[in-house]
Amino acid sequence: MNRRLQVRVVALVVLIPVLLMSGCSSSPGQTKTVLTVTGSTTILPIAEVAAEMFHEQHTDLRVLVAGVGSSAGIESVTNGTCDIGTSSRELTPQEKTLGLVDTPVAFDAIAVIVNPANPVKALTKQQAADIFEGKTTNWKDVGGPDEPIGLVNRDEASGTRDAFSKIVLGGAPFDPKAAVLPGTGQVRAVVADSVTSVGYISLGFVDKSVKAVSIDDVQPTEKTVADGTYPVSRVLHFFTKGKPSGLTKQYTDFVLSSAIQNKVVRDAGFLPVAEGRK
Amino acid sequence: MSDGPKLDAVDVPVKPAGYGLSTISRATYFKEAALRNLFLVCACVAVAGVALIFLFVGWRGWPIFAKVGLFSFLGGGVWHPTVGQFGILTLIVNSLLATLGALALGAPLAVGTAVFLSEVADARVRAWVRPAVELLAGIPSVVYGFFGLVLLRPIIAKFSGGLGFGLFTVWIILAVMILPTIAAISEDALRSVPEGIREASYAMGATKWQTIWRVLLPAAKIGIIDAIILGMGRAIGETMAVVMVAGNAPVIPNGIFAPFLTLTTVIVMDMPYAAGDHRTALFGVAIVLFVISMIFVASIRIISRFGREVG
Repeated sequence: MNRRLQVRVVALVVLIPVLLMSGCSSSPGQTKTVLTVTGSTTILPIAEVAAEMFHEQHTDLRVLVAGVGSSAGIESVTNGTCDIGTSSRELTPQEKTLGLVDTPVAFDAIAVIVNPANPVKALTKQQAADIFEGKTTNWKDVGGPDEPIGLVNRDEASGTRDAFSKIVLGGAPFDPKAAVLPGTGQVRAVVADSVTSVGYISLGFVDKSVKAVSIDDVQPTEKTVADGTYPVSRVLHFFTKGKPSGLTKQYTDFVLSSAIQNKVVRDAGFLPVAEGRK
Repeated sequence: MSDGPKLDAVDVPVKPAGYGLSTISRATYFKEAALRNLFLVCACVAVAGVALIFLFVGWRGWPIFAKVGLFSFLGGGVWHPTVGQFGILTLIVNSLLATLGALALGAPLAVGTAVFLSEVADARVRAWVRPAVELLAGIPSVVYGFFGLVLLRPIIAKFSGGLGFGLFTVWIILAVMILPTIAAISEDALRSVPEGIREASYAMGATKWQTIWRVLLPAAKIGIIDAIILGMGRAIGETMAVVMVAGNAPVIPNGIFAPFLTLTTVIVMDMPYAAGDHRTALFGVAIVLFVISMIFVASIRIISRFGREVG
């Protein structure tokens, strides 16, 4: 815990000036001993724990991890302010032209969460889309009590929002009246204490304080995500400028090793790439 | 300070009468001159800071006015920057709603506190209450926001049946935040009412309440209005506390328990990922905030001058 906090603080202290002064990249030439990994807050738990374990094995090497959102991660790997940009969304057509190399590191499913006191247990994908587009505004329309639905959305920097929008809404706009919260933890906390609320977070962050509903009669579980039956899931990426080499490759390989995949990735509620689809 | 201030303008030392050159040594003279210039530099840093910020924000934000047009930027109701809709009227209205509500709650409370401190409380009570009020001003706004998010919001969610984000929650937080500003300045205004006026009022047979309501508050009116405008400035510019409890939906809320986005919170929410026109539009929002606070400062100056002329 202490070490973890330390890594996070160091990452922040180092990354903030680096991010502020966009354009200045770490100098090549000499052998790198510090690797910076920036991006998705969803991937943060994997990348962070992997960074600690990596440092324990190679005490002369450090990996600094920061969670700033997928878009910011892709942005900073592109302009060279970090070595690996982590992203929980796919590249946009424009970003695809930037020459980034994709290494999938885990699978993630997005769960639609409601308050545990809410009797609604199942939604179809269409019902979920109607709720988040603002077409369905009362729980009684989807088999719940006669209460207005309290929509909780993520901010537009969120990779989870992007994935949810593509997979569930098919790109249709979210209801603008929804509350917009800047983090997975906040969404979960709000849904946990507001009876009529509904939100969405990565399956890895669902805990007992909230209830994940089934989508199209498939409950989000590791098994249904792994076999591809759960409809709302996505791939978590490491993006690098060019093929990973040197320290970048060392760390990426470490993340893909079974020590991380079967332990850390699973503990975070995600699924290992080796056992997933595709 | 790149291009230094024009020092020659203040070169002539202003010496108190009877303090001729003959009575102070050369060293003292230079020391005095150096100090004077040091303080001048300090003042210039503040002015240069404002000027630089204004120039930078203006330079970065100006293109959005050219691109979408001043009127559709200020008068457009739809803020959806990722599809190229940059109307900030909704945000302006929301900022005003948040500010006016906070004033309606906070200003009477603050003026009441000021009256209590200046007219009612004895020295012993005052010694406890005043530091407490001053401490409110010292609490970082993010702590207010955290308090609002973790403690206040769930309570409001429970009795409103919504999420707990919205105008009502923001009003309460902002009212407490602007209280110390308004209370301190109003108290100063009340204290500066000459003692003779109070004595005259009591001598006419007025009760304490009549004296406060009919004599002191009207006499301190200008100072209290200044205090309220300063509080308004604080409320409209507050960001961290608001972003945590407002819910940040870019619409005019349909009720006081519905989420809403303001001029300041949109910058905090969008800045991490905004690029291109979106980023420029955020600087445009900053210009609007800058102009609003200039209006506040100007109105305080005008009201104060008016007050001096009349009173």
